[in-house]
Amino acid sequence: MHSNSESASSRRARRAFLVRIIQSIHALMGATLAFVVGGAVVAPSFTRRQSTWLPAAEWSGLEDGTPTPIALRVARSDGAIEVIDRRLVYLVRSGHTVRALDSTCTHLGCRTRFNPDTHRIECPCHGGMYDATGKVIGGPPPSPLQTLPTRVENDRVFVEV
Amino acid sequence: MLNRLKEWFDSRTGYRALVDTILHEPLPRGTGWFFTTGSIVTLLIGVQFVTGVGLSMYYVPSPALAYDSVRFIMTTLPLGWMLRGLHFWGASFLVVTTIVHMLRVFMFGSYKAPREVTWISGVLMLLVILGFALSGYLLPWDQKAYWATTVTINVARSTPLMGEYIASLMRGGPDLGALTLGRWFSAHVFLLPMTLVTLIAAHIALMRKHGISGPLRVTPGTGSAFFPWHVVKDTVMMAAVFASLFAVAALVRAPLDEIANPADANYIPRPEWYFLSLFQVLKYFPGPLEPIATMVVPGIAIGFLLLLPFLDRSSDRYPWSRSRRAFTGAFVLLGAGVAALTLIGFSDRPRESQRAISAPSENQAIAMDVFNTVCFACHKLDGTGGTVGPDLSHVGKSRDAATIRKIIEDPLNAFDDSEMPPFEKRLSSDQLDALAQYLASLK
Repeated sequence: MHSNSESASSRRARRAFLVRIIQSIHALMGATLAFVVGGAVVAPSFTRRQSTWLPAAEWSGLEDGTPTPIALRVARSDGAIEVIDRRLVYLVRSGHTVRALDSTCTHLGCRTRFNPDTHRIECPCHGGMYDATGKVIGGPPPSPLQTLPTRVENDRVFVEV
Repeated sequence: MLNRLKEWFDSRTGYRALVDTILHEPLPRGTGWFFTTGSIVTLLIGVQFVTGVGLSMYYVPSPALAYDSVRFIMTTLPLGWMLRGLHFWGASFLVVTTIVHMLRVFMFGSYKAPREVTWISGVLMLLVILGFALSGYLLPWDQKAYWATTVTINVARSTPLMGEYIASLMRGGPDLGALTLGRWFSAHVFLLPMTLVTLIAAHIALMRKHGISGPLRVTPGTGSAFFPWHVVKDTVMMAAVFASLFAVAALVRAPLDEIANPADANYIPRPEWYFLSLFQVLKYFPGPLEPIATMVVPGIAIGFLLLLPFLDRSSDRYPWSRSRRAFTGAFVLLGAGVAALTLIGFSDRPRESQRAISAPSENQAIAMDVFNTVCFACHKLDGTGGTVGPDLSHVGKSRDAATIRKIIEDPLNAFDDSEMPPFEKRLSSDQLDALAQYLASLK
């Protein structure tokens, strides 16, 4: 196939050229496949949850200064299906304003609960403690409970989740 | 730095010797483009594996969700349509190239001693690939999936003596349903891939053990090395096939029928093209003769392929030489028969006018369809259905169509404590209308 006159060096150069072609084509095919498969695998990881306003409670039913746990039902699409999530928030009235605290502990995401005896919001996992306004008063949580936007309309309290 | 790392890794693993062994395969002189078909098949199997893993992250193997999850892949997931397109069309490409590879091996007489076992492993791989194709199109749980699988299982039922047992085993019970889908899914993503990988390893190891057969006319002397001189040909062919597959997947949406509906009398089941020949044979052997079409004809074809190297034992490799003529004739006849039946199968389809058998009214049909696939899981209608939601058999007594439609669209708005998900986005406006009117008519 290769004549004797063809020098060893030109054969080596041809070989190196072919190797590069092979590598480039395989890299191109691999990249195309990786783009489609990788894209489809990675894309949903970066979608954001849409927020909605939900009616949570009657204003007049809230006790001043005491967190009232409310289970909100949030419909959202979960892949191919629609699911209804239950999210627990605390509504805390103070005077003429109301705050909604997300019940998720800011340490590692456990569900906190309000303890009426101590008047504290406590996390069962690692002993995180918050006061009625969501401020950290003990344990490992790095930041206060997350506050959710609220709105009051005709005695009804709405929370954006 | 990188070189030192490679040096160290080689000293601990000896990977360079392995790579050398893989790449420096001696080839007979004159090994040309015809010997790239196996690489193309390997590439396409690789594409099916990679895209299949991607799809499996979103696909749900249950009749309640399979269809929705495939529709999610096709309509909502970014690049999902392309992912399924590559997998769907890739299956057809794979069947075609596998047959082309087999034709090449046949025409070059490459199955002859000492390569009989290599050939048999190849025939088995063809069957495994067809098994993939068959189990694959049940998975979307659309009309084609449901009916094609019904037909397949009934074909298996015609096996003499054990037919009923085989059919029950394939269904996982007396009826086609969740248990069927579960086992076919498992076969498609676990059993068959393991089998295929094992066979590929055996096939390639055997190919290396005996060396490739090379061109018909043997030229003395050594050929050029496999790498890079032959690999470049492999690569060019692989790139051409890959580009074609990509173009088809990008231009032609992978089809998805309506969701499976066992009560639909209007649907005409059609298999994928690679099973059309078998589908067509069935039409020629009615009644008690059916096992001839389902068992005898395919059995003879597969038996002929498996036994070929033991029937055609001369060392002569020319396809039309005196000793091979009869086998080549039989092979061509088999190929022509499959091709002809496939073509007849394409054109021999019922006309549209024969389709409508009994449709109540279009709206009611749409409504029943939605009810039987969606609402059914939670609501009862005339004694059948779920018990999570209220019985809807007489819902029209208390509510009109507009109210019903509002409730379906957004149940939480109507009842604070409703467990029902909103269907505003899941159903089309026509479906919502038809369903609301139908339910309102139930008094």
